[in-house]
Amino acid sequence: MAKKLVTLRIDEHTLQVPEGMLVVDAARKVNVDIPVFCYHPKMDPVGMCRMCLVDVGRPVIDRATGEVVKEADGSPKIAFGPKLDTACTTPVSEGMVVITNSDKVRAARKEVVEFILTSHPLDCPVCDKGGECPLQNLTMAYGPGTSRFIFDEKMHLAKHVPLGELVWLDRERCIQCGRCVRFQHEVVDDPVIDFFHRGRSLEIITDSEPGFDSVFSGNTTDICPVGALTTADFRFGARPWEMVSAASLCSHCPVGCNITYNVRREAKTGGNMVIKRAMPRQNEGVNEIWMCDKGRLGYHFTESKQRLSEPLVRKGGELVPAGWDEALDLVAQKLREAGSSLTVLAGGRLSNEDLFNLRRLADAAGGQAVLDTHMGGGDLAALAVERGAALIVVNPNETRLDKFATHTLRYNPGELLLTFGGFLESAAGKVFAEAENALVFYGSNGLGLQQSTYLAYAAAELLVKTGHYGKANNGLIPVWPKANSQGAWDMGFRPASNLGDQLRQSKAVYIAASDPAGDDPALAAALDEAKFVIVQDLFLSETAKHADVVLPAAAYTEREGSFTSGDRRVQRYYPAATPRGLARPDFIITAQLAGRLGVELPAAAALVLDQIAAQVPAYAGLSYQKLAEVHEQWPIIGRSDVYYGGTGYENKHGLGVQLPCAAERGEKIDLPAAANPVLPSVPAGSLLVIPVARLYDQGATLRPTALLDGRIARAELALNPETAEKFGLQAGGEALIAAGGWRVQVAVRVDSHLPVGLGLVPRSTGVPVFGPTAVTIEPVQVEIKA
Amino acid sequence: MFQGLWTTLKSMFEKPPTIQYPEEKRPVRTRFRGRHVLKRYDNGLEKCIGCALCASACPADAIFVEASENTDEQRFSPGERYASTYEINMLRCIFCGFCEDACPTEAIVLGDNYELTFTERTGSIYTKQMLLEAVPEGVKTTPQVTPPGVFTRSVPEMKDPTD
Amino acid sequence: MSTYRILRHRDIPNIASLDVYRAEGGFEAFHKAVAGMQPSDVLNEVKASGLRGRGGAGFPAGLKWSFIPNNLWPHYVVANADESEPGTFKDREIMESNPFQFLEGLMLASYAVQAHDAYIYLRGEFWQIAKSLDGKIAELEAAGLLGDKIYGTEYSLRLHTHLGAGAYICGEETALLESIEGNRGQPRLRPPFPAVYGLFGKPTVINNVETLANVPGIIANGTAWFREQGTEKSPGVKVFSLSGCVNKPGNYELPLGTTFRELIFNYGGGLPEGRSIKAIMPAGASSSLITADDRALDTPMDYESVAALGSALGSASVIVLDDSVNVAWMVSKTVEFFKHESCGKCTPCREGTYWMSHIADRIVKGDSRKEDIDLLNYVARQMQGKCLCALGEFSTMAVVTGIEQFREDFEKLQRS
Repeated sequence: MAKKLVTLRIDEHTLQVPEGMLVVDAARKVNVDIPVFCYHPKMDPVGMCRMCLVDVGRPVIDRATGEVVKEADGSPKIAFGPKLDTACTTPVSEGMVVITNSDKVRAARKEVVEFILTSHPLDCPVCDKGGECPLQNLTMAYGPGTSRFIFDEKMHLAKHVPLGELVWLDRERCIQCGRCVRFQHEVVDDPVIDFFHRGRSLEIITDSEPGFDSVFSGNTTDICPVGALTTADFRFGARPWEMVSAASLCSHCPVGCNITYNVRREAKTGGNMVIKRAMPRQNEGVNEIWMCDKGRLGYHFTESKQRLSEPLVRKGGELVPAGWDEALDLVAQKLREAGSSLTVLAGGRLSNEDLFNLRRLADAAGGQAVLDTHMGGGDLAALAVERGAALIVVNPNETRLDKFATHTLRYNPGELLLTFGGFLESAAGKVFAEAENALVFYGSNGLGLQQSTYLAYAAAELLVKTGHYGKANNGLIPVWPKANSQGAWDMGFRPASNLGDQLRQSKAVYIAASDPAGDDPALAAALDEAKFVIVQDLFLSETAKHADVVLPAAAYTEREGSFTSGDRRVQRYYPAATPRGLARPDFIITAQLAGRLGVELPAAAALVLDQIAAQVPAYAGLSYQKLAEVHEQWPIIGRSDVYYGGTGYENKHGLGVQLPCAAERGEKIDLPAAANPVLPSVPAGSLLVIPVARLYDQGATLRPTALLDGRIARAELALNPETAEKFGLQAGGEALIAAGGWRVQVAVRVDSHLPVGLGLVPRSTGVPVFGPTAVTIEPVQVEIKA
Repeated sequence: MFQGLWTTLKSMFEKPPTIQYPEEKRPVRTRFRGRHVLKRYDNGLEKCIGCALCASACPADAIFVEASENTDEQRFSPGERYASTYEINMLRCIFCGFCEDACPTEAIVLGDNYELTFTERTGSIYTKQMLLEAVPEGVKTTPQVTPPGVFTRSVPEMKDPTD
Repeated sequence: MSTYRILRHRDIPNIASLDVYRAEGGFEAFHKAVAGMQPSDVLNEVKASGLRGRGGAGFPAGLKWSFIPNNLWPHYVVANADESEPGTFKDREIMESNPFQFLEGLMLASYAVQAHDAYIYLRGEFWQIAKSLDGKIAELEAAGLLGDKIYGTEYSLRLHTHLGAGAYICGEETALLESIEGNRGQPRLRPPFPAVYGLFGKPTVINNVETLANVPGIIANGTAWFREQGTEKSPGVKVFSLSGCVNKPGNYELPLGTTFRELIFNYGGGLPEGRSIKAIMPAGASSSLITADDRALDTPMDYESVAALGSALGSASVIVLDDSVNVAWMVSKTVEFFKHESCGKCTPCREGTYWMSHIADRIVKGDSRKEDIDLLNYVARQMQGKCLCALGEFSTMAVVTGIEQFREDFEKLQRS
């Protein structure tokens, strides 16, 4: 419903804005700067800093008649309050007059800045915020030239307070605006930091263990209007003005957060351009102006010393450095020999361009293009998200989402589809069926490839049955484990039903950005049986150690490309860092290989996308120009008036394009019939364990971020106390779990929120559990040394 | 004509203005701007806090600074941070002295030395070790081990310049 | 019959016991209201009496109650028993010695706005009073005056006491509400006002203890009786807390409109050792100073007349300063108090009180600079009109008026 418009005047501008808008926001619409410290457009106003004081007048209404009183010249009579009002807490009203440039207002701003500076240290030269600091900017613009406060009387407070291992607090610099506290309470709902004491002794404290236990903690350093909160990661990394920005995307999950990498030359890496920090880039359709700590800190793999920098070829049983020509010639020869017995195995972190070229190469040879994934259903995905909806959560165990849910359904693993079958009869199901718009997000928590595929089928069926498909804000959104799994499906990659057999039978296996041997010892054995193995990766992974030729790939931060997010938004990223050694982008390596095989593939990212647009129906009409288009977003962030903090915010490099769904293109999707997946039988004495995702996983691109070591998922078995007792396990102890050919030692975690008779194992931690699995368990006796 | 000869004759007996450089060197003016020196405090700690304001003030983009954090076990400067990399490209430097003006701790000073020669381009880059002045007599060089709780300020406290 | 209206315990011993209080006509007003009057009748009666809030602002109590909207439920009534203003000690005496009259007033107010839960917010140091009030409330519940179906009607009411944790700011009504809700004691933005968005987000009436103690008399005896005392615009009696340089400090219940001279010299017994009066702070630490000349001394103490002197009657905690007091010293003490009590939410108050206390401290210690008096004055004026709540504004009152009227006291302390 459109809101009523009201007309008001701000200085010399007359404007119309929706009722209820705050004066401070209305002023931004007409480029009038009202400086703020505590106000932030993403949070409720509090009116604490008093920087936004303006003169607000309202038309005088005659009480008897209800009419506006007129001046002699016929203009409405305006009554101004005796005091100035805070623009951040005053909503606009009809006929309002706001004056922001009078002497009174200017004096008030100057005085408030002087007040704030009385307790602010003068350490701008060493402050990480110096150069992009709202307090610096506003002091220059509105503050007094000198302070009358005696310097020696300044408060001296602790300057190195670690709120957690990721975020540091400088108590002296804090101006008590409360943006960080309010962000954690209002936006994240992780109220782990708070104010303590009162008056001038007010300080920010954390009350969680470990400190500042929130995966969005880094955002507080962006919105901090001074250098009070800084990240441990960027501490003294560079001065803000020395860095250049490169627009990019986060590569850690399929949300597709828009980010900006700040890069600078670095002496210790021989003058290379190196990423110094990652900042969120505004995209109101995706991440707004936020990003999680995984994305913020997870770029360190780019500069890892373990990166491959030159091609390796196996000679005499050893992988030895070789030139590109030698390596590519050898690979081309082997591919020719293999003919159609070629398997191309790709991971979901490759770009669309890489995947397209790989697919074309596989097609040209008549081979198979296989996606390395444990989640299925990508061919059914559809469209975008909106807020304020009823949220129905269907999960085997408690999650943080439950708190926001209107309906929570629990199921036993394996009976998920039964839950779906009866879903429409439940109260939640009625809400779903009657909803104007409905989306299903599905993932693979606790599920394997087969189960998640069936889940996707069932969810699609539900959407079709209730008519929630083929239009905006409706449909199925997969929550993929990798950033571009959706792109891989769209480029025609499909998971193999039996990857081990497929690898064993191939004469040549070409593996890119995937580590099957590292995930599963059984696949490592299968690889050894394959005739010829080519691995194209960032690191010498477990799989690469089994390879005959290893090709060094450039990281996504070192090249161009595009990702398709889980909600099917295609977005592009730009090169940021200097490529490592001789490493080349994946799509170029593939194109060069194809050239040797007589297949012409484009070797420039923009040209590959043009071909994708021509050959993949859903991507029709896409181009790099189109992906780079931007339009003004609200709230306005990062203009010349930099008081919302941070430099990487404004999006000048593209908002991406939402792909149309099949129905919009007039295509029909054939719905495969869903079946309830078969659960492994659990013999007496065994336990059913399921794999679960952890944010800080042990992925190859996250491990090099040393700062996260304390929070990264470890190999563990989580179970209910009752179940733990049954197997003789103790919290904090160790256990050996084993199933069909493998045996792994894991830590034991006991959690009373978990269902009885079920074990949880984090993915990526070296435990080869990829779906519900029956395992045997024996406790490890800890030897106590005398 | 005689006037001209007289001038010639007179100059024959005058003291010659040329000096035998490099054996003999002229003193420079007090405000001469020569090669930079990075200063130390009397206790041997470096004045430079690695703020890179000199680099941002430099019109020739001749200065490159990277900062790191001090600890009490490894202390270079009294503040929170120090310059872990400090390089001046003398081929780029125009000796304008803006870096001196920009420095908040009076760490960089343009000295008397004008004898800057190098035989290859990389030699024109003066590193921090070349620019730092010698440690005063009887004082340990940086990094020093300092007792905890002494150097707690992020920027060392400064007095207004006296000269 | 007592000659007192509020401090009736001074005539009637043991009025703090329920039996005595009831024997003296206690809870007749409550019975009359609940059993025989519409809530709106009670409200209109109080409105007509012209009873003004005794907490400081002097806002008409009946008008305040009438702002409660009848389309938002439930309603709450909160008794503000935080009494933290330096120099104010009247509510304490009422709650200690004449508690039932206060409780009856609170119950009448609750009935008038149809609240079923009422809170008594006491400062943390009043824990003994809270304990005794809890006992009184239990007695009332046992006597059927509180609880469900009071006097057999559909009306039910419960009273709760709530102790603060030692913050002056929690006497500010919105900070008080935050404190009851379990949040940090920091004032809220207004609007919305508590009458619409108050305790737990519901319409709430907040009244001072003394205001509420006036209500039973109004209901029992009518508005004409109430208006017998006091002035036209400030009717009724007021408990004046007299302290400072006087011979007989204490609480004095006098009609509004009594002059300063009468209070200080007739009732307070004048100044000790024949010292002469220098200044008056009529509303505790928050007040502007009044130079005690004849004009001021003969001013009647009602809301309008004191305001005309450039000060405010406030909670009527009259602090007398004699000629032995250096005003600069007194100012430094009040500023120190406000610095300690500033909640830190808004910038001008947090930084301004801190800055002022530094300057005032320097002046008193005798190591101020020449410009410090003007600077102190400037900083105080710089705070005015910018603060989120009244605490910041009040902290500047003594400073500005002190420097204006007694500059020589400041100069005396400066090194020549």
